[in-house]
Amino acid sequence: MEILEYGFMQRALLASLMVGLVAPAVGIFLVQRRLSLLGDGLGHVALTGVAIGVLTSTAPVGAALVAAVLGAVLIELIRARGRTSGDVALAVLFYGGIAGGVVLLSLAPRGQATNLEAYLFGAITTTGTGDLAVFAAIALTVLAVVGLLGQRLYAVSDDEEYARAVGLPVLALNIVLAALVAATVVLSMRVVGLLLISALMIVPSAIAQLLARSFRQALYLACAIGLVVSVSGTTASYYTGTPSGGTIVLLAIALFLVASAGAALRDATARRRHRRRGEVHAAHPHEHGDGCGHRPVPHEDHVDYDHDGHLHAPHLTGAGVHYDEHGAQVTPTAPAAKGGAA
Amino acid sequence: MTPARTAPPAVRLRDASIGYGDVPILAHVDLTVRAGEAVAILGSNGSGKTTLARGLLGLAQVLGGEVELLGAPVGRLRERGRVGYVPQRHTVSGAVPATVREVVAVGRLARLGLLRRLGAADRTAVGKAVAAVGLADRMEEPVASLSGGQQRRVLVARALAAQPELLIMDEPTAGVDAASQDALAGVLAHVSATGTTLLVVTHETGPLSEVLTRAVVVDHGRISYDGPLAGAGPADGAGQHDHCGPPEEPAGRYRLDQPTVTTRPAGGR
Repeated sequence: MEILEYGFMQRALLASLMVGLVAPAVGIFLVQRRLSLLGDGLGHVALTGVAIGVLTSTAPVGAALVAAVLGAVLIELIRARGRTSGDVALAVLFYGGIAGGVVLLSLAPRGQATNLEAYLFGAITTTGTGDLAVFAAIALTVLAVVGLLGQRLYAVSDDEEYARAVGLPVLALNIVLAALVAATVVLSMRVVGLLLISALMIVPSAIAQLLARSFRQALYLACAIGLVVSVSGTTASYYTGTPSGGTIVLLAIALFLVASAGAALRDATARRRHRRRGEVHAAHPHEHGDGCGHRPVPHEDHVDYDHDGHLHAPHLTGAGVHYDEHGAQVTPTAPAAKGGAA
Repeated sequence: MTPARTAPPAVRLRDASIGYGDVPILAHVDLTVRAGEAVAILGSNGSGKTTLARGLLGLAQVLGGEVELLGAPVGRLRERGRVGYVPQRHTVSGAVPATVREVVAVGRLARLGLLRRLGAADRTAVGKAVAAVGLADRMEEPVASLSGGQQRRVLVARALAAQPELLIMDEPTAGVDAASQDALAGVLAHVSATGTTLLVVTHETGPLSEVLTRAVVVDHGRISYDGPLAGAGPADGAGQHDHCGPPEEPAGRYRLDQPTVTTRPAGGR
């Protein structure tokens, strides 16, 4: 493939591979706790770190990492202290981050990497070999921490109050998660840019959330989706000449729309089937109950009634009791073997 | 598991004031619950009964006096996993799907410290807890696909998985269909029989009356009655009864124990 002959594209693809894998692994916890915009805020804060790095002529990536992690810890401490004032405090922190970054970058002497756009929207083709090493270290660290603490992070994200009540170290775990988000922001900065960073953390997780049955499944699926959109978006951007960040995110959103439509269709089909079953009962209405003349058949957590060869299942709705059809075949078994204590 | 005769009280409040910030909701309360007791904390909305439970769980602040849990001051109880908690929430609420197994496994984590992973013993405990609430065949299903009453039982299983010495439940029967309430009474009878101390915050005991033996009625931040549950009836009824709205409807199928139903064909979902 022609695309792989260029060193800069090899590095770009490697970077996008790491980002695509890592961002959703952290993002899924943000989706779980409905804090999807936290990544955005940390991206803003990271910009000040980048600017400080550029001004002091040290590595901007390292400075951004320090600033983002410090910002993340600060945000968690603010969140833990109070709710009403916390919202405003966070907003101020986010605005301050991006404003500070813009102003500081403008003060940098000419001839330095002061291209604001590269940080805001990504410049994947400028990834150097040294950057790749740093990215790999960040990616491995983040994946290792998620692997080690994933179950606890899930617990805290799922039900923080319960976690607190049973003595899990909630504040420490929240700070760990925020620091992971910060590290991911810095890792993804070059590939998708600080303004689109959240998208790569959140959108693959949002797709997985629509399709998965378990949290573990959702996590793996989100990482797989992230990997695919990130690498294919980067590849596509090479041929179309569009920025990698925007291309990747648009690709992810397209997938999200397709998955949403699929999920909506699935639900609509289930509703239609439900109505159709209801209509079968409506065709010969009858109140089922003990001694109604129809054999009761326990079915999971309720009782069906054998009505001329098909099972009528009652369930309570806002409008009273409504009957579903639960299968047209009745097996002649004793009505005691099945069904647990409801 | 069964507490020795010398076991410290499961709960001891001495002149305790509990509240939020620096506003006390409960003031100067004395209460001792011996290990193995099954106690109902009764009271109307706003009486302070939930604050009492939350104080024990470390979710509300102790503003004065002493609050001891399993023999240790509440803030200094090292192994909080010894205390089980079933929150008032009706459903499991995370945005990402999770299976019954995954939610219940969280109950074990508190006993494992920060880094230890779930082992074979933990998996067995999770399986037992889920079986105890009658959902063994739903183990790998997403919790969101269960009915409201079933989701409530998942939260009970989560608390049971930790094999707690003290189980605190907040309004476990509110908005739960009759069948699930009966099932819950059965589970609690079993848990109580193994020596676990029960503390159930509720505004009506319903089928749980068969399990709970002692009633503590909280009224305006003070304990107005403490004695056998049977004697709490009148106090519970006289001006204490305060339903906060129609009970929530079960989210899924409904088990019909009573045959007296009217048919509404095609009556929507």
